[in-house]
Amino acid sequence: MVDTAFILNDSLLEKRQRAIDRGRRADARFMRTTQAMAIVVLAIFIGIIWTLLVGAWPALSIYGFSFLWTEAWNPVTESFGALAPIYGTLVTSAIAIVIAVPIGIGIAIFLTELCPRSLRRPVGIAVELLAGIPSIIYGIWGLFVLAPFLQQYVQPAVIDAFDGIPILSTLFAGPPFGIGIFTAGLILAIMILPFISSITRDVFEAVPPVLKEATYGLGATVWEVVWYVVLPYARSGVVGGVMLALGRALGETMAITFVIGNAHRVSASLFAPGTSISAAIANEFTEAVGDLYYSSLIALGLILFLVTFIVLAAAQYMLMRIERRAGGGTK
Amino acid sequence: MNLGLYARRRMRNGIFLGLSMLATAFGLGWLALILGSLFYEGFSRFDLSLFTQMTPPPGEDGGLLNPIFGSLIMTSLAVAVGTPIGILAGTYLAEHGRYTRLAFVVRFVNDILLSAPSIVIGLFIYVTIVLTMGHFSAFAGSAALAVIVIPVVLRTTENMLLLVPNTLREAAAALGASRAHIIARITWRAARAGIVTGMLLAVARISGETAPLLFTALNNQFWSTDLNAPMASLPIVIFQFAMSPYADWQALAWAGALLITLTVLALSIIARALISQPERR
Amino acid sequence: MSGEVKVAIKNLSFFYGQLQALKNITLSLEKNKVTAFIGPSGCGKSTILRVLNRIYELYPNQRAEGEVLLDGVDILSPKQDLNILRAKVGMVFQAPTPFPMTIFDNIAFGLKLYERLPRSELEGRVENALQRAALWDEVKDKLHASGTSLSGGQQQRLCIARSVATRPEIILLDEPCSALDPISTAKIEELIAELSDDYTIAIVTHNMQQASRVSDYTAFMFLGELIEFGTTEKLFTTPGNKRTEDYITGRFG
Repeated sequence: MVDTAFILNDSLLEKRQRAIDRGRRADARFMRTTQAMAIVVLAIFIGIIWTLLVGAWPALSIYGFSFLWTEAWNPVTESFGALAPIYGTLVTSAIAIVIAVPIGIGIAIFLTELCPRSLRRPVGIAVELLAGIPSIIYGIWGLFVLAPFLQQYVQPAVIDAFDGIPILSTLFAGPPFGIGIFTAGLILAIMILPFISSITRDVFEAVPPVLKEATYGLGATVWEVVWYVVLPYARSGVVGGVMLALGRALGETMAITFVIGNAHRVSASLFAPGTSISAAIANEFTEAVGDLYYSSLIALGLILFLVTFIVLAAAQYMLMRIERRAGGGTK
Repeated sequence: MNLGLYARRRMRNGIFLGLSMLATAFGLGWLALILGSLFYEGFSRFDLSLFTQMTPPPGEDGGLLNPIFGSLIMTSLAVAVGTPIGILAGTYLAEHGRYTRLAFVVRFVNDILLSAPSIVIGLFIYVTIVLTMGHFSAFAGSAALAVIVIPVVLRTTENMLLLVPNTLREAAAALGASRAHIIARITWRAARAGIVTGMLLAVARISGETAPLLFTALNNQFWSTDLNAPMASLPIVIFQFAMSPYADWQALAWAGALLITLTVLALSIIARALISQPERR
Repeated sequence: MSGEVKVAIKNLSFFYGQLQALKNITLSLEKNKVTAFIGPSGCGKSTILRVLNRIYELYPNQRAEGEVLLDGVDILSPKQDLNILRAKVGMVFQAPTPFPMTIFDNIAFGLKLYERLPRSELEGRVENALQRAALWDEVKDKLHASGTSLSGGQQQRLCIARSVATRPEIILLDEPCSALDPISTAKIEELIAELSDDYTIAIVTHNMQQASRVSDYTAFMFLGELIEFGTTEKLFTTPGNKRTEDYITGRFG
């Protein structure tokens, strides 16, 4: 007995053709929709750059490049200069990187080579949880806990210790405010620490185990394997991760607004108050009166976006290289 | 074999590995300190009134009802708008447009947006939405948050879709299914857990974001459900109260901070559990 | 066995967690001869090699039981210093593993671990090692190029030169030619013959013809057991065990 349901006849063929046509039209619609959404992302990016350029134009056309190195910031006389915010952004990020990179890499080394296997997951997760804490938490913790502590105990001790020593005494000069560029940098360091250690750890785990076995096979110690083989192999990945962290640090607002002091001044001492681009915008934007004030703040935003863009693009390039290495083989 | 050299190597090994252990203790130490302060300060003010009373003027009793509500509304709106855009765009990058030039550029741009300064995003929305509308609003705040949600969701969606083995797609195609059908019914379903994780991570991320709300949704001392008007949000209120000189406001700020942290931690844990959960067939 | 015994393996069992990968293996490696280990996938031949330099210690749920005597000293004992053991036992892996350094530094790395040498002597030793690995002529003008810039066959010879440089007593080769083309394979097989004058060599191979070409003794293994062990000539022409014969004639594996 032949099952009539499976005999091909005209009406079945017709139904099939219609289903196929419907499917094809749906395909085209779907493809256009997804493509459109991808273009939306691109449009947002271009939109950001455009609005920043347009908004900053009045200020930039008046000041020109001197905007970058003028320290004065006076809403009353309407003269604005970006030097203090730029200085603050760069210095706090530099402090953060100097502190967080060796420690972050140290944590990654510990987690991949030393940590007993059973502890590896919990410690790794603990470090990643640190990464998820919103920046405003770091901000208020910094304001209420860290800054007073630094002001009462650490800063006076450091100021006294370096008193009289040529460079250090100016870098760490009093009075001990507690808040200031150094405190902001320290908080930033703690914030980007888990980020660096997490990316470094991922990169370390991408090193082929055969390579490590070959090194151990020669009789190398754990440290020698890490220093001579793992780190060089993972070098571009680690650098990429550090630059990614730098990109985040440069744009960070809430962690440092509370403790940076909000003074449009460039001081020699790291213990002095200052400001950063994001802190300046956060504190002043809603009260900015006057087109030039407003435009100067947007100009600051433009500078910040350009700087982070360059750093993040470079980071992506480096990370792409390690991915290709791991996927490819020799040569 | 030179035994002197060997002894020195072992010492160097011990020193550097000891340092890496110190580094880990240092890192975990800060975590413990921060969470410790958070719990200590926040817990004392953590009671039901937080969720039932509104923000008070200084000196009076109150809670965080309107900022909590505001955050919930704006977060939901941001996720509702940003997630579909992120998922669809991520689908384009992983499926139709995988090797196209457009996909390469969008991927690059997306990764930049992922780590871009959120305050700049606030400026962008201020100019495009607040100025056009003429006033601050919850709409604008949600829009700013949506701009942050999109890259997160796009990235995870694309990554998860790329993980789906091609054999699955081929099997569906061999049956005669159309492209859209394959993606919607098979591929999305296979990557389901990962995509939901992406959403959770996006929510966790925007729960604590303050900067983009500073000049979009602004703030509101009173109860408001009007999306077309400024709306309070937890991070902004924390900012305002913490910077103030009033002790009761500062206590509320700590409590709010604790609330946000607990939410973010819970979301991260759920997201993590989802990813490691083996799919039940 | 006619000559001196270099490594005596006695009742060796090995476990990956609960799984027993080696069952009571007893055999000896003769000094300055080549011993080949053959058998189908999963028979345990690579595992035996990895016991000889205790590289398995890197992984927590792998353990060995029994005795392995190197010149009379049990290397499985907890008192055995691993770094010193690995100075005596070199290993070359299946996939070439050049370090991310220059060709010169690749070789010098192992040397510098163990000896303080003046520059001229270091250079001499590096040249010596590269000559022994039949690589010197090909790289002498580009010693400062990266190790990864060499072809697959050259990289593998680089790894051999690297193990040889530290003057080990035993060299372990784990399927060294499986990732290489026939010409590179032939070159390495020639090398093995020369190296066996000075080193005791254990080689794991999937390729039976290779085993019969290069080795003096052959061990046939199956499912973790040593089925047959004898001189290569005898094992390949008149195997004592039926399973050996079946494997050699290609009836399985």
